Amino acid sequence: MKQAPKSDEHWLARPRTIRQLWIVFIAILVLTVLAQVFIKVKGYFGVDGWFGFGAAFGFLCCAAMVVLAKALGPFLKRDDRYYDD
Amino acid sequence: MIESNLPALQVVLPLVAAPLCVLLRRGSLAWLVTWSATWATAAISIAILLRVLDAGTISYTFGGWEPPWGIEYRVDIVNAFVLVLVSVIGAIIVPYARRSVGAEIRSEQHYLFWAAYLLCLTGLLGVAITGDAFNVFVFLEISSLATYILIACGQDRRALVASYQYLIMGTIGATFIVIGIGLLYLMTGTLNLADMAQRLSTMPLHRPQLAALAFLTVGISLKLALFPLHLWLPNAYAYAPSVSTAFLSATATKVAVYLLLRFSYSVFGQSHVIENISVEAVILALSVAAIFTASLVAIFQDDVKRMFAYSSVAQIGYITLGISLANQNGLTGGIVHMFNHAVAKGAIFMLLGCVALQIGQPLMAQMAGLAKRMPMTAAGLVVGGLSLIGVPGTVGFISKWYLVVAAIEKGWWWLAALVLISSMLAAIYVWRLIEVCYFREPSPELEAAGEAPLSMLIPAWVLVIGCIYFGLDATMTAGTAASAAQSLLEATR
Amino acid sequence: MTEWTSPALILLAAAILIGLTRGHLRSAVILVAPLLTLWAIWQVPDGVVGTVRFLDYAIEPVEGSPLRRLFATIFSIMAFTGGLFAFRHARWYELSAAFAYASGAVGVCFAGDLITLFLFWELMALFSTVIVWCGGTPAARKAGIRYAMMHLLGGVILKVGIEGVVVHTGSIDIQPLLATNFDTWMILVGILINAAAPPVSAWLADAYPESSPTGSVFLSAFTTKTAVLALILLFPGEPVLIGVGLYMVMYGIIYALLENDARRILAYSIVNQVGFMVCAVGIGTQMALNGAAAHAFAHIIYKALLFMSAGVVVYRTGKNKCSDLGGLFRTMPLTTICGIVGALSISSFPLTSGFVTKTLISQAAIDQGLVVVYFLLAAASAGVFLHAGIKFPWFVFFQKDSGLRPKDAPWNMAAAMVLFSALCILMGAFPEAFYRLLPYPVDYHAYSPGKVLFYLQLLLFSGLAFFVMLPWLKRTPTISLDTDWLYRVALKKAFSVLADLLGSAQERAQRSVQKLLQTALARIQRHHGPEGVLARTWPTGSMVLWVAIMLASYLILYYLL
Repeated sequence: MKQAPKSDEHWLARPRTIRQLWIVFIAILVLTVLAQVFIKVKGYFGVDGWFGFGAAFGFLCCAAMVVLAKALGPFLKRDDRYYDD
Repeated sequence: MIESNLPALQVVLPLVAAPLCVLLRRGSLAWLVTWSATWATAAISIAILLRVLDAGTISYTFGGWEPPWGIEYRVDIVNAFVLVLVSVIGAIIVPYARRSVGAEIRSEQHYLFWAAYLLCLTGLLGVAITGDAFNVFVFLEISSLATYILIACGQDRRALVASYQYLIMGTIGATFIVIGIGLLYLMTGTLNLADMAQRLSTMPLHRPQLAALAFLTVGISLKLALFPLHLWLPNAYAYAPSVSTAFLSATATKVAVYLLLRFSYSVFGQSHVIENISVEAVILALSVAAIFTASLVAIFQDDVKRMFAYSSVAQIGYITLGISLANQNGLTGGIVHMFNHAVAKGAIFMLLGCVALQIGQPLMAQMAGLAKRMPMTAAGLVVGGLSLIGVPGTVGFISKWYLVVAAIEKGWWWLAALVLISSMLAAIYVWRLIEVCYFREPSPELEAAGEAPLSMLIPAWVLVIGCIYFGLDATMTAGTAASAAQSLLEATR
Repeated sequence: MTEWTSPALILLAAAILIGLTRGHLRSAVILVAPLLTLWAIWQVPDGVVGTVRFLDYAIEPVEGSPLRRLFATIFSIMAFTGGLFAFRHARWYELSAAFAYASGAVGVCFAGDLITLFLFWELMALFSTVIVWCGGTPAARKAGIRYAMMHLLGGVILKVGIEGVVVHTGSIDIQPLLATNFDTWMILVGILINAAAPPVSAWLADAYPESSPTGSVFLSAFTTKTAVLALILLFPGEPVLIGVGLYMVMYGIIYALLENDARRILAYSIVNQVGFMVCAVGIGTQMALNGAAAHAFAHIIYKALLFMSAGVVVYRTGKNKCSDLGGLFRTMPLTTICGIVGALSISSFPLTSGFVTKTLISQAAIDQGLVVVYFLLAAASAGVFLHAGIKFPWFVFFQKDSGLRPKDAPWNMAAAMVLFSALCILMGAFPEAFYRLLPYPVDYHAYSPGKVLFYLQLLLFSGLAFFVMLPWLKRTPTISLDTDWLYRVALKKAFSVLADLLGSAQERAQRSVQKLLQTALARIQRHHGPEGVLARTWPTGSMVLWVAIMLASYLILYYLL
């Protein structure tokens, strides 16, 4: 990582702000799951009405996709000058 | 008076104008004569077409000798269409040709060039209009001899060799045709085509009829450059003066195609010969071979005129393919492609003439960056190229539509697929040209060049716009072609 | 103006005028013509407006219906905003091509018959190729020819299908079909090629990122969405499409995750989004078709918005690789915000256009009881947030500081982006007004609390997954192999091998033939040149030989028969 000397002056790039953002983000995450206590999520096919299903499904699907992409990487990735001959 | 003699005037006018050019001996005067004669001829052909559409077949007899004894000019919708095609293209080229001929041909030869041009036109029109078999041969020779001159006028010394080769081949072709006609005369005792057809229909099958058909087919195939008898064409087109190439590519082969139609449908259509053999299968195979091999060869050419000459061989393949399909849509496709290809190729060769005016023989490398220096020329070439590919909105689309419909009607999917795949080959050679013209820096030859003069651009663009206009409104062209196809099919049983 | 004049012709005329005019007049043409088109679109009544004879058919250049007007509307809005975005920076021929391209798209919308459809279809192929070439680099030139060949192939296949249908049914009308025989399969395949369906999805990500920063904005909008429209018109409820759509959805996500080029990420996500629409057409209920049309409408807006923000970045920095970018939010706040709005919309975040349209498709899957489809679409929605919703803005505008300090967007580009951002949010906030434009009546409420909560969970936890697994997503300066490898590498190799083989075989054959002929025809054969057999300038003697062979074979053939 090459850091331009001035970059840290921007408030969004300060480590403290980033820490605060993470806290806010996690708080929102927890809230969205807890909200299911008060708001009924209609389950069309059974499982999707379970508590926190959306959260778990979203996280796991994305994790699976990232892992799949990572696994395919060695087979599919080539240097970006691959076709340039 | 004039109206009833139109068929005779059609041929006589350019025939008389030719010696007039020689007598005048001045290039510019000869050009003026040619100009007036060709435009008058074009007007006559249109008048004839209108009359035929209105009143049906016209028969014109010379000297009051009734056919089959006298010579008869017989115009039905098929040859009226060809007459218009030949004479209109012949007329559009003349205003264009002044500058081009001035640059490419030595000035003391100009009047001779114009005389040859008019004679060639006379011959082609004569072949198309006459109803007499021997007359066909005579006019064919007139046009061929004039053609040799038109080709040999080229600046490039190879033009002489090309012309010589064409002379040999053309002579062989003409000989075959005259042998064929002679055999037919022996069998039927008549030279009048209509009469011949009628007598053949009542005759039992004899070997000489077969031989006559074989000689005629091969002879005509030579003239129309059907694969593999196309070998004279690329060099002839490549090294002839630009004006000659534009004129010949648009008209000469088309008249030969007309002859093929006339003999195989009108003359032999009702005979027992056609029932027993299938010329179609052979021509079909050769047409497909022509389309593919010639397109492939065109891809690898570096001389742009030669490239489009090979492309002509391929495009003639589409025409003969339509003829060999021998159903309504196939024939319509073949006939309309005679017109469409004439317009597109005429435009392309005329524009290449514009290029030649500025930089000499147009080679791929020298045409680099053409779009920057000669934008109108380059744009016209693109439109012409798109027509060859058969992009919708251009004339090529119309022809291929009919051909594919005809193939599908016969249940020949493979043929439909081949026709369409072949357009991708055309796309490749057209693309090569586009890439060179649009994506390269101007070549040293083009660096100082500017756009071609308007006197050349306007006639060329008339044809370019024709490529688009007749691609969008095909009622006139495809409609006429369809009735021509119908009349040909009606003549067979 | 005759009654059957297609609104498409206004844009086509504008394309020509752009070439003829200069300066302010040209700018005026660019900005006014799309609005004029929009007006004309809403003058088109339902049903066939008129017929014209073409070849032997009565073609119907203009046929109106709510669906057709909907697509034409968004295409003309797109032409306007794209023009606004580009008119000060793009070269005139790119703009001219873009307008001709847009006119093709509008023409397809109103095509009442297969022939008109095909005419405009090819118009699009032609001018979109020109736009790719306007990228101006050698890579763009090569990508352009591959693009042209792919679309020519698609056109050929479509044409075979159309002519087959015309010959066998005698009807050129556009009406719902099912892929049951050769003709209809060919039409379906021809359309799917334009929709970037497998196995040829690669053309899209190959070509679009090579165009200019302005060109890619136009390219993103028209080709694939007209294909969706054609599918809605011709193949509603064709079951094959469900599988095809789901594959496209997943393909787009995986390839976008692997990708480094910012605009190529967006290109893959077009395939992904079109997958949603194709899948919806496959479901084929009124709800699903509404969803496909609505999603196409929304998609054009937010995808163009994303391409605009990426385009501004490329225009200002000259860089397009994520590994070279980052930290741009400091000096490009507006572009960043607009990019984020686009990213949220594509991820179907509540209160954005994507949410109110994509959930229509999910609802259609629910109504039909398609469990697997529903869950895969939900997973894909999460994946969209992952690859486009966060990955794109994060790597371009945030992540590490690349040290680049480019200026923000020029005013016209900014205006175009703000306009589309506003549309994204307005559509998301007031879906009922938009639903009224859809082809079928809508009885659906996007914002039930449970649904909103479900999507918030789904998306926010996808975001969590992104940041948790960030090290695995580190950008590498690579491209990813796709089926285009077959024609970019394998075919080339096969050709050279074949050429070698043929060369030696030909040599051998030639030698033996020559030996045979040498005795008899030594003189004639003497002048063989070095080129291919058919390209050579033949000596007169061998031509004559051919004539003799032809004549002999004819005579023999006739004799035998």
